[in-house]
Amino acid sequence: MSIVMKLENVTLEYPIARRYRKENVKPSGIRNVSFELKEGDVLGIIGRNGSGKSTLLKMMAGVFPPNDGVISSRGAVSLLAGVGVGFNKELTGRENAYLYGALMGRSRKQIDELIDEIQSFAELTHHFDRPFRTFSSGMRARLGISVATAFRPDLLLIDEVLGVGDVSFREKSQKRVKDLIETSGSVIIVSHSLGMLKEMCTRMILIEDGEVIMDDEPGAVITKYAEILKN
Amino acid sequence: MDGQKRVLETPRGDSQLTPLWQKRNFYHYPFVMLSDIISSRHLLSLLVKRDIATRYRRAYLGFSWAILEPLLLAGVYSVVFTILVGSSDPLYAAKVVLGVIGWSLFSRSVTSSAKSLTNSVNLFQFARVPKSVFATNGPITNTILALFSLLSVIPFFIIHDLPVTVNLLMVPLWLFFISFTGWSIGLLVAPISCKIPDMMNIINFLVRAGFFLSPVMWTYDMFSRRFGEGWQSVVAHLNPTIVPLTEIRDAVLGTSSNIPSWGYSMCFAISVIFYLFGSIVFMRSAHKAVVNI
Repeated sequence: MSIVMKLENVTLEYPIARRYRKENVKPSGIRNVSFELKEGDVLGIIGRNGSGKSTLLKMMAGVFPPNDGVISSRGAVSLLAGVGVGFNKELTGRENAYLYGALMGRSRKQIDELIDEIQSFAELTHHFDRPFRTFSSGMRARLGISVATAFRPDLLLIDEVLGVGDVSFREKSQKRVKDLIETSGSVIIVSHSLGMLKEMCTRMILIEDGEVIMDDEPGAVITKYAEILKN
Repeated sequence: MDGQKRVLETPRGDSQLTPLWQKRNFYHYPFVMLSDIISSRHLLSLLVKRDIATRYRRAYLGFSWAILEPLLLAGVYSVVFTILVGSSDPLYAAKVVLGVIGWSLFSRSVTSSAKSLTNSVNLFQFARVPKSVFATNGPITNTILALFSLLSVIPFFIIHDLPVTVNLLMVPLWLFFISFTGWSIGLLVAPISCKIPDMMNIINFLVRAGFFLSPVMWTYDMFSRRFGEGWQSVVAHLNPTIVPLTEIRDAVLGTSSNIPSWGYSMCFAISVIFYLFGSIVFMRSAHKAVVNI
């Protein structure tokens, strides 16, 4: 199996607010993280709130630059997080779908090919050509999920995005993401849903205070995480 | 890091592992920025279309505001200035309209590109997008709207029987130049304003002050008659809008303001220096600035 992503001693420290600098507060972020992801791997990342999971995911997506270390990847990387950020209220659903697709790095031709599928999955019918400001919050979320999951990347990064919309749409979008996971080359998932991670992942890593403290098969990592939570 | 900073690398989709962030020397940044913008032209065109489509979408008069705005402003300025100074120039109102169009383009280009990082910070926290594109769409949109605003001078052509000459073709080029200079200044300010929010207040003040220091309500001839070519003239030419605003007036109204050749050289040099510094500061600091907000 070839390597699709490699992290070598990656570090990112957020700056400490001036008022805390004198108190010797440890900067939050990611410290000296190294691992490789192979083609076909489904990697779960778990850890407590604020441990650095989402920061690590954003670094792997090329959103945040590391202070130190090297992140290398192969093929198209897609981050499924903050769905709907970038939509414009005055544009129609269709115009926003094109804009959001372009923000994800897709060409006009690629979006043209999928625009009918995006409209159909979002269940927006005639609302698709109405201004986004007239959409309900559920409709906005459906459009976001629909565009974000329409493309098949080589490496898919997912950060807790499945809890949007009503129950039926949530089930539908979870099925869509599962399909995406099965058809994408490799996947990294950040989630607190341990059951889902155990079912889907081939491997997991546990992060504590910005450091990877365990990289193993899902059962062992979840047991270790449960011990940390107890303490 | 030996003076090198990291630049976001566009994924190549080949079979080799590619570092997401490449180390570059600072002198590469002006070229990397242009290359980023060219390679993201699809996104850039969508952002420009979005800005144009939404600018006047909910206004009853729609795009007419692009013409009405400079005309109304020029009307007010002309009346005030004529009362205060007693100007008898029949083309004064037309000169003010052109000054307003050019100055508005400059000020909007500066502020839109300076605010580009703070305005889109939510997006930059989730999407791998070239930030330089978001600093560029505002100035391009404003240039297109400024070209549209030029329709407001048509009544002056009819009333004053102004000649239609080949010099008119220079007007879009000078508007582009104004926008380019404003964009470059905005690039310089954008990362700083992420760290120091007061920076935008300073820029807003400078833009307001610059209005009076630029040939919007006054003309190059008025300035030359008063100060000649002394040190005041050299200082005045540090303002990069003086030459293009005067050239736009000359091209449209068929006048000649006899700008000295060193005036053009200063104007171009200042603009290029702003671009070099602006692109280097932006490319070095924009990514970190967004993380640190």
